[in-house]
Parts: sequence; structure tokens; C-alpha cells
Amino acid sequence: MADPSHSVPQLLIETLAASGVYLLAFFVTILVISPVQHSFFSEFPSRASLLFLPHGVRVLAAWLLGWRSTVALLPGILIGSVFVYGGDAFGPGQLVASTIALTVGPATFHALALAGYDIFPRPDRSPCWACVMATGVAISILNGVLINAALGSGPVDYFAFLIGDVSGLFFLMLILMFVFRSMRLRDS
Amino acid sequence: MPEISKLAELRKLLLGMERAMGLQELSSAERDVFYAASDIAEFEEKIQTTGLMNHTLVTDISRPTFFRALKSLVEKGYLSHCSKRTRGLYVLNRRDG
Repeated sequence: MADPSHSVPQLLIETLAASGVYLLAFFVTILVISPVQHSFFSEFPSRASLLFLPHGVRVLAAWLLGWRSTVALLPGILIGSVFVYGGDAFGPGQLVASTIALTVGPATFHALALAGYDIFPRPDRSPCWACVMATGVAISILNGVLINAALGSGPVDYFAFLIGDVSGLFFLMLILMFVFRSMRLRDS
Repeated sequence: MPEISKLAELRKLLLGMERAMGLQELSSAERDVFYAASDIAEFEEKIQTTGLMNHTLVTDISRPTFFRALKSLVEKGYLSHCSKRTRGLYVLNRRDG
């Protein structure tokens, strides 16, 4: 019997949820966090956000959905790219960057599973948040290396992206933790 | 895995983070059920609900409170169902999440 969790309506729901949350995190980062950062650190040589929440969404989506996260995040990542780069979002460089951003997350989780470190969620065990966090750091490093190789950006950008991704993942998890905690305490 | 399970897995992940940060608290009933489960897990890999209910630490807890505490411990990631099909059998989760 076909697994109902692999149906097309299920994928549509996942896409709406993952891309919706991605865009929310993206616009909070671009329209709120980045302007505040630039007003406080105007001398900082990179325009990269030092608190990039969308990386957290990419990592958590890849952990929850595996390869399906590439489809679920596609609209969100494309819309975000068009918002920043306009028509250039469909140029070869940005398309490569979007593809890397979409695929490195699930590829890393699957590669770890093949190597014997399967940390994908399963109902019969407790998920390891520190493992997901560490994998998120590895995904950021791989993203940075591949995107910098593809677009040829400098080392300052590379480290700025790394700091932004890691802090973004940690703070997104922290925000979600407090949201779920407040929901639980309100219900009890 | 259905959508609701994914949300549950996300909540479990962040409960692990909450626990690691020392922010999660257990009610006295949850603590008693957890200690009873830990005691049983010393001798048996799988913890049966009936065995848990007969443990001296939880005999004073009313049935509804016991089941609420058991459900809450599963939601908080302290215990897991052995499998989706087998109800009434639990395993103690490692406390490193």
C-alpha cells in the first residue's frame, strides 16, 4: 500500500508550510534584523546577515522531510531570491546558489545516515537536538564552500555567512522552543 | 510520517533542547511515573503499563493522573512507545538529547 505521507496533497501541505515559514524567517531577517545590524555595525565589510534565520528553516525542513524538503522549500527560496536579486535571481550564478541551498541540507542528513549516523526523526526514539545543531553547522560550512566556489565571494563573506547561519539556526530553535513551551504551559 | 507526527517530532526535538537548558519541569506525578519507569528499566528493556501502574511509587496516583503523566512523559521525550502498533509498551529514552 502506498505511504500516505508521500502523496501529492501531503507534499502540497509540506510545501505551503515549509516555504511559508522560510519566507517569514527570510523577511524578518532582511527587513528587520539586517537593517538593525547595519545601523550598529556599519563598518562591517560584508552585507551578509549575522543572524540568518532561514538557514534554521532549511536545516529543520531537511531533518524532518529529507529529500522532500527540496520541493517544499523551492518556492520560498526562489521568491526570496527574486526579492533580493530581481531578474538576476534566474541567472546562472544565483540558480546554482539556490540549488546548493536546497540540496546540501538533505544530502548531508542522508550521507550521515548512510555512514551509520542516522539522526532522522523516528517515533521510537528521542531526537538529538545537539546532533541536528552540529549537522546544521556542517551544512553551513558545505553551503559556504560550494556557494563561494560557484560565485567567487571573498573570505569575509564566507565567515559572515557561517556566523549568520549558525546563529540563525540556534536562535530559530530557541524561538520555536519558547513558542512550544508557552503553548504547553498555557494548555496545562 | 503524517504532518501531525512531523510537528510532534519537532516538538520532541525542542523539548530535548529545553531539557538540556534546564528549563523543563516535571509535575510530581510525572516524576513518580518516570522514577518508576527508570526502576523497571533496570531489569526489563520494555516497560509495560500494567507493571508501571503496580509500582509502589505510583500506586497512590489516580488512574486519570497516571495516564496524563504517562502521556506527558512521552510528549516530553522521556519515554517512547515501543512501536506504533504495540500500545502499552514503553522504553526509557536516553537522557542525552
